[in-house]
Amino acid sequence: MTRYRTIQLGWKAVAVLFMLLLPMFLREIDVHFCTEIIIFSLFAISLNLVLRGVGLLSFGHAAFFGIGAYSMALISQHMPGIPLLLLLLIVALAGCLATSVIGFFCVRANPQYFPLLTLAFQMLLYAVALKWRTVTGGDDGMVMMRPDLYLPFLETISLMAINNLYYFTLIIVALAISGCYLLLKTPLGNAFFCIRENPTRASFLGYNVFLTKLTAFTISGFLSGLAGGLYALFQEFVSTATMDVHMSFGVLMMLLIGGVGHFLGPVLGVAFMVFFQNWLSGVTSHWPIFVGIVFIVVVRYLDKGLVGIFDLKPIRFLAGGRET
Amino acid sequence: MAILRLREVDKKFSGVQALSRVNLEIIPGERHAIIGPNGSGKSTLFNVITGFYKPSGGRIFFKEKDITGWQAHRIARLGLARSFQITQIFPMMTVFENVRNAITSKLSRRFNWTMLLNRSKEIQRKTGEIIHLLQLDEERYVLAAEANYGTQRQLEVAMALAWDPELIMLDEPTAGLDAEDTRAFVHLIREVTEGKTLLIVEHDMEVVFKLADRITVLVYGRVLATGTSTEIQENEEVRKAYLGRE
Repeated sequence: MTRYRTIQLGWKAVAVLFMLLLPMFLREIDVHFCTEIIIFSLFAISLNLVLRGVGLLSFGHAAFFGIGAYSMALISQHMPGIPLLLLLLIVALAGCLATSVIGFFCVRANPQYFPLLTLAFQMLLYAVALKWRTVTGGDDGMVMMRPDLYLPFLETISLMAINNLYYFTLIIVALAISGCYLLLKTPLGNAFFCIRENPTRASFLGYNVFLTKLTAFTISGFLSGLAGGLYALFQEFVSTATMDVHMSFGVLMMLLIGGVGHFLGPVLGVAFMVFFQNWLSGVTSHWPIFVGIVFIVVVRYLDKGLVGIFDLKPIRFLAGGRET
Repeated sequence: MAILRLREVDKKFSGVQALSRVNLEIIPGERHAIIGPNGSGKSTLFNVITGFYKPSGGRIFFKEKDITGWQAHRIARLGLARSFQITQIFPMMTVFENVRNAITSKLSRRFNWTMLLNRSKEIQRKTGEIIHLLQLDEERYVLAAEANYGTQRQLEVAMALAWDPELIMLDEPTAGLDAEDTRAFVHLIREVTEGKTLLIVEHDMEVVFKLADRITVLVYGRVLATGTSTEIQENEEVRKAYLGRE
């Protein structure tokens, strides 16, 4: 093992330990924020899977997040006894199904129209959630109960305690993100990059551009749906806010601020924005202006996003230099 | 038996007749060149054969299969590989990764998600072989976008060859290279396509006469003549339409 790898492994161990010990040092309200960051990290990474993966910019990803959240609330309302892990799987598959149907129409279109088409579909679903009061509760939203977690050989874990919810979310999201990370290292993940880099060349090498894009979009939908489901669990409430334009663009903004080019860039962006917004909204009621300013500054002067700070020399040194 | 057969192929672009009633037969094992003045439809012909454009009329057969109107990736998978006149590579990947993309596709691992790409010995080995064959060893880890132009042209051919295709179509492989590089590159192409079927579009007459067994002359989207290089050089019509002006 090279020196670089050892140091990298060391940092990873520190990060894992940090995440595991975090709730012990924080107030309950801060654990809340950390849980929110974890959930939105998954959402941002799922969005980045299509943007960095196959080069498609989705303006309507909240649609799949919202579908995850609503199906979480609806299923747990109508089938109260369902095991939580199975429920999350179903919720993620709902996101998957929605993206494959919507993606079928959007991916085929000219890449320039793709963002607008996704936005249009999102608005359509938003309207459904708003108007179909008997099912979704319209703008009153839906309340959902956090079910207990039953694990074999262990006692029942109540997720009403925020620390338990934190660990539960952390484990689920860590598994999902690791899976996503590994996926990008398989031939399929490589195919995504081929399509982003040069779709013409890729198709003449035998890659099916449409199907590959759709696959990336569908996997992204799976992760978005999962994030939405976790968000419903976290909020104990689902409203049309999970599916509206602010959600789509909010997460896109976090993603761009964090940095698209690096796998963990979105996580950094989410963490920064959640804390920044939270702190700022305590200081001034005009906080959105400052969020906008930060966005402009980052996009204009940090072209790699916040993740670009890892390229700075002192930090490179700490990280063990460059990979050889 | 022809490996590729075009029958009365037409291509119109909003009123402009780019190709009209092109008939062409490529025999397995031959090196066939297509020549013609600028705008005579050489690249259009390539694009119609490989599925980049759909022909407006006529039929195209590859290995006796009617591939008219097929999508590009399906045609490629049948064993028809091409390079481009304007370099088409994966810019933000290394030379090695570029070739590896072709090998991965060739081995039908495009949708494989159960293994890590850099752990596959078979893919690494085959990629290494192609890199070596095309003499790209030194540029292996260079980002394709940062490689020099000659390397990029070589990479174009490498990706086409990586498929070990039954028909290789090269669209002006030497475009933009100086005389010396062209000579070396043509030598290399000769070597690596030994015993393979080659269809090549080329501007440089020297290259064409050195490389090709048979030549087809295209003028204004029509086939003027097909024959060996001596036949073409002696053909009155060709001289009038094309060679005379050089």
